[in-house]
Amino acid sequence: MSRVPEALGRACVLLVLLAHSALAQAIPYQRPVDTAPQANSIGGGYKVPPVQKPLPRDYWLQVVDAVALSAAMGVSVWLVLKRRSRKWLTALTIGSLAYFGFYREGCICPIGSLQNVVVALADPKYSIPMLVTATFVLPLVVALYFGRAFCGGVCALGAIQELVVLKPVQVPRRLDRALGLLKYVYLGLAILFAVKPALTRDFLICRFDPFVGFFRRNGAPHMLILGGGFLVLGMFVGRPYCRYLCPYGGLLAWCTRLARRGVTVTPNKELDCGLCAEACPYGAIEKMRAVRRNCLYCARCYASCPCDGELAHAKAGLVDLPGAAS
Amino acid sequence: MMTGARIGSLIAGSLVVLCVAILLVDYAVANRQPFASRPAAEQKRVTAERLARKSRDNAVGWVLIAAAAAFLTFAKGLVQQPKPRPPAARQSGADALGVPSGPMRSPGRAPELDLTFVDQIVLQFGRGKESAIPLLQAIQTHYRYLPDDALRRLCEQTDITPAEIAGTSSFYGQFRRSPVGEHIVRVCHGTACHVSGARQITEELRRFLAIPDGEDTDAARMFTLDEVACLGCCSLAPVLMVDGHTAGKLTPATACNALKVTA
Repeated sequence: MSRVPEALGRACVLLVLLAHSALAQAIPYQRPVDTAPQANSIGGGYKVPPVQKPLPRDYWLQVVDAVALSAAMGVSVWLVLKRRSRKWLTALTIGSLAYFGFYREGCICPIGSLQNVVVALADPKYSIPMLVTATFVLPLVVALYFGRAFCGGVCALGAIQELVVLKPVQVPRRLDRALGLLKYVYLGLAILFAVKPALTRDFLICRFDPFVGFFRRNGAPHMLILGGGFLVLGMFVGRPYCRYLCPYGGLLAWCTRLARRGVTVTPNKELDCGLCAEACPYGAIEKMRAVRRNCLYCARCYASCPCDGELAHAKAGLVDLPGAAS
Repeated sequence: MMTGARIGSLIAGSLVVLCVAILLVDYAVANRQPFASRPAAEQKRVTAERLARKSRDNAVGWVLIAAAAAFLTFAKGLVQQPKPRPPAARQSGADALGVPSGPMRSPGRAPELDLTFVDQIVLQFGRGKESAIPLLQAIQTHYRYLPDDALRRLCEQTDITPAEIAGTSSFYGQFRRSPVGEHIVRVCHGTACHVSGARQITEELRRFLAIPDGEDTDAARMFTLDEVACLGCCSLAPVLMVDGHTAGKLTPATACNALKVTA
């Protein structure tokens, strides 16, 4: 019944994404390195030290990154929706943290790419490489079909918080909602600062990225302390940055409204016992049903379900007990 | 195993604190002279000292990350001691409700009963077969169920045979032969409650109180679960009654809260 308008909505969003990426890529990228003084024009046997000429990442490596991103999201969808396996998802989370976080040093991430894309659309002289556009578009496309698969197990910022969740408390629903609006404010501010003219432009999201300092083991001390604070807070409040501040999370939440599938806690298959709602550290299970816009694809609900996931075999064992009256 | 995780998390935690302290001290030492007050050229110069500090901090950073990972792994083991257990293995929910569960009585062996009460009522109601029902009612009111010892004593004191007592006490729904919990939870299984999920409510309560299949009282003898035909307030379905209190419009999530009125 509601399939048709949703499909139309998805098509519209896809069209917009494709159109904007075509627009954003319109200008071929040129490095203005040649305009700088070269060794021969300086003379005197001067050698340009390698540190001043960082080579751009090879094109094929960029393709590898884009493929890795899509593959990780595909695996995340498969592990959560099909296998319902939290164990393997944790493995994927650690892998993503290692690759997108520590190896790629947290750049480029979809959260930050948002600003590059906005600038590319606003400033006719600014161009972005294919990888940035892909990084921005792919998670949104996945969100249109499967929900926030990017957030669970792929996003490096999410992964580092996901792994520190220790003893999460349930944030009161109203407070959770109110704080959740902060990310839209942040999104607005980030866009506002990004569309400013070139010299006054600022990439707020990257400047105040609390975790990138850990990925690089280097950064402004106040940001490192802030990041440490977020991680300590994250031990008790599940993924505070993702839920309350991440501007890209806001975009993903909008896209999930049109999602075809997602994490579901179905009325017939499960017991309705509420163990999943207790296990969800992100308050994404309301009235025993998963809320797609808040669901961060961590599969904890499936792991805690006595009917499903990793506990299912335990239940089967109970049923098989000889002499057990049902 | 418990202590191993605790020691491990302590060691890893202190290593984390140590690393953070080293980094902070390093930062403070390197920036004795305020950054902004230095000449512009010096702010940007990549000196050997600066490179050494960077690689040193990098190494400490890796140790910090590894220590934090170890700390979290150990701490998770500590925090999640009560693993998500399969329903049958869950502890009695009475503890979760904060109800003092008192000394655990083993279901097999009942405590010594004061049987003088049986002698008293036999004097009061008489020794004939016709007083069987009033006698049983009095015993049930006094002990809250019909203990086997009291029934045996009843047979010794009166003309009523064990067979008659067994027949009478099992015929009438008002008599119970097994001990009852302190609070009786009556879950309505009438038509309206049935269609609004009384079955799920009962199952959730059984799971919450860890009542084994085939029994109706939890191990701590706090709650006895009773399925009744109708409580007469179908508009509130699904409904349950705990002692005198009625709770309506329940969901499996809120059913356990309804037991809290007794706490």
